[in-house]
Amino acid sequence: MVINQTEQKESMVKKGWWLILLIIIFIFAPAFLSEFYLTVLCEALVMSLFALSFNLLFGYMGQLSFGQAAFYGLGGYTVAMLIMKAHFNFWLSIIAGVLVAGIIGLIVGFFCVRLRGIYFAVLTLAFGQLIFSVVFKWHNFTGGDDGIQGVFPPEFLKSPIAYYYFILIVFLLSAFVLWKIIHSPFGQTIISMRENSERTEFLGINIAKYQLITFVIAAAFAGLAGAIWVPFYRSVAPSYLTWIKSGEPVMAAILGGPSLFYGPVLGMFIMTFFHSWVLGFTIYWPVVMGALILVVIFFLPGGILGFIQEKVNQRRERLNQLVEK
Amino acid sequence: MSFDVLFSQFMSGIARAALLFLVASGLSLTFGVLRVLNFAHGSLYMLGAFLSYSIWKFLLMPVLGFYLAAVIAALIMGGLGIIIEFILLRRLYSRGWPEQLLATYAIILIITDLVKWAWGGEFLSISRPKPFTGAVFLFGFPFPSYNFFVIGLGIALVIFLWWLVYRTRFGDIIRAAASDREMVSALGIPIPWLFTWIFVLGAFIAGLSGAVTAPFGSVALGMDMEIIIECFAVVVIGGMGSLPGTLLGSFIVGEVYAFGIMLKPELAIAFIFMVMAVVLIIRPWGIFGRPER
Repeated sequence: MVINQTEQKESMVKKGWWLILLIIIFIFAPAFLSEFYLTVLCEALVMSLFALSFNLLFGYMGQLSFGQAAFYGLGGYTVAMLIMKAHFNFWLSIIAGVLVAGIIGLIVGFFCVRLRGIYFAVLTLAFGQLIFSVVFKWHNFTGGDDGIQGVFPPEFLKSPIAYYYFILIVFLLSAFVLWKIIHSPFGQTIISMRENSERTEFLGINIAKYQLITFVIAAAFAGLAGAIWVPFYRSVAPSYLTWIKSGEPVMAAILGGPSLFYGPVLGMFIMTFFHSWVLGFTIYWPVVMGALILVVIFFLPGGILGFIQEKVNQRRERLNQLVEK
Repeated sequence: MSFDVLFSQFMSGIARAALLFLVASGLSLTFGVLRVLNFAHGSLYMLGAFLSYSIWKFLLMPVLGFYLAAVIAALIMGGLGIIIEFILLRRLYSRGWPEQLLATYAIILIITDLVKWAWGGEFLSISRPKPFTGAVFLFGFPFPSYNFFVIGLGIALVIFLWWLVYRTRFGDIIRAAASDREMVSALGIPIPWLFTWIFVLGAFIAGLSGAVTAPFGSVALGMDMEIIIECFAVVVIGGMGSLPGTLLGSFIVGEVYAFGIMLKPELAIAFIFMVMAVVLIIRPWGIFGRPER
């Protein structure tokens, strides 16, 4: 795909307008939404951050992680345990959550980046389940299957609206940082590893090192998502670390379109709101999600944004052909 | 530590290894030929266990009931295998592996909810079938004789798969397809048909092994995840798609688990992962596996 410079700039300006409009909508959203939908919106934002962290690995590095929820859960558990057991400061707890997720990510990633493709997926899944089973079985320390309840944010963040703005700010800053990472030389190197790892290696780039750094960044942002979610939800449970949870960002990326930065966000918003709607009349959400996955795989390869982009490109090509005639 | 304690732990490790081989061999066989990692293999195993429970209850036959129920459940799972392969996987062979993986992941979600809806969240169990109700004494130490039934079944499956893969024409085709699919297809052998049969065989083995675990008293939701994670450890250690590797991997994981439980029960599964980590550092593609690409 060849895009010339001016066209790229033009589309960036267009994208910029969309973003500003969206941010304005998000800032005024609490005025129009009931408390229930505000909660759903908070969840959608947190899960979108989680999905963005996952897509750094999947969409850009080209490796499918099936254990990303372990880091999300670790971030959440760190915050819950520090606040509840050590009476730690809220902000320090969140930073600690990110650090713990990043450090465990470094250990897990050390093994995982040795593998590619399906092997990478299996190993991340296995490590994810290992972390889950440690949390689940270590009852004295983590509360086992009861989880930890009663995790409160500081006084000024206790109202849902205040916490919504907190989540929004964290999400926007994180998305900006991730966007910057992807568009930095480092990010371009990751993408080139996905496109052709042998050629990249011949350029003198240590692939394992770059992949490990990416893995740690992804783990840290997943940890951040978990860390800011738990004080809002007031509790944490082992189900946060299971591979069912790990499947959600995979699904969101496939649904929205993994090749585009905002694809997973769109996918996660659709999934979260769809989820809260489906739960209104059935408890069998997983079967709905399973069916949805199959529908997307068979009928929407490339995801929603991928589909739209393809249509736009086709139209542009047709226009170009008309101009040439 | 006395000899009999170690020996008894070793024997329970062997029984676990046999069970792991029953499940992991189907997973490995499917991956070796189709190059599709069936995430839902554990779900087929779980569904097989629940089905055999219901069939066993329906039959109400004192001796034959269990064996009949196990075979019927396995046959039903084989039938389900045809449906899954025909409707879903067949359309995805030309696509990337992430889509194939996700499709089998979707099957997990659907089967889990199906089981929850049909059987609920209770723990079910089948009483041990005759003549495996009692204990066998080895070196004066008692072992459940049912364990020996599972070990025997594991050995029978090893021999059957070895015979199938290395001693039959079908096995020649399997091995040829595993190494060069296009060439086999060019020789006029219908690859889609081969894939269906392999997947059905895998599903049949999964259902059978699920039915066989029922007398251990652990038919419940979540048994699928428990076994599949250990099976992943087995195939990662042994090498994905390799039958000797799966056998060795099952043995290692079964024994590590058995002795791990003796040392520290909560960390038994963690010990498995430590072994896996060591293997991965030395041979990232497993002991008997071949490097990708």
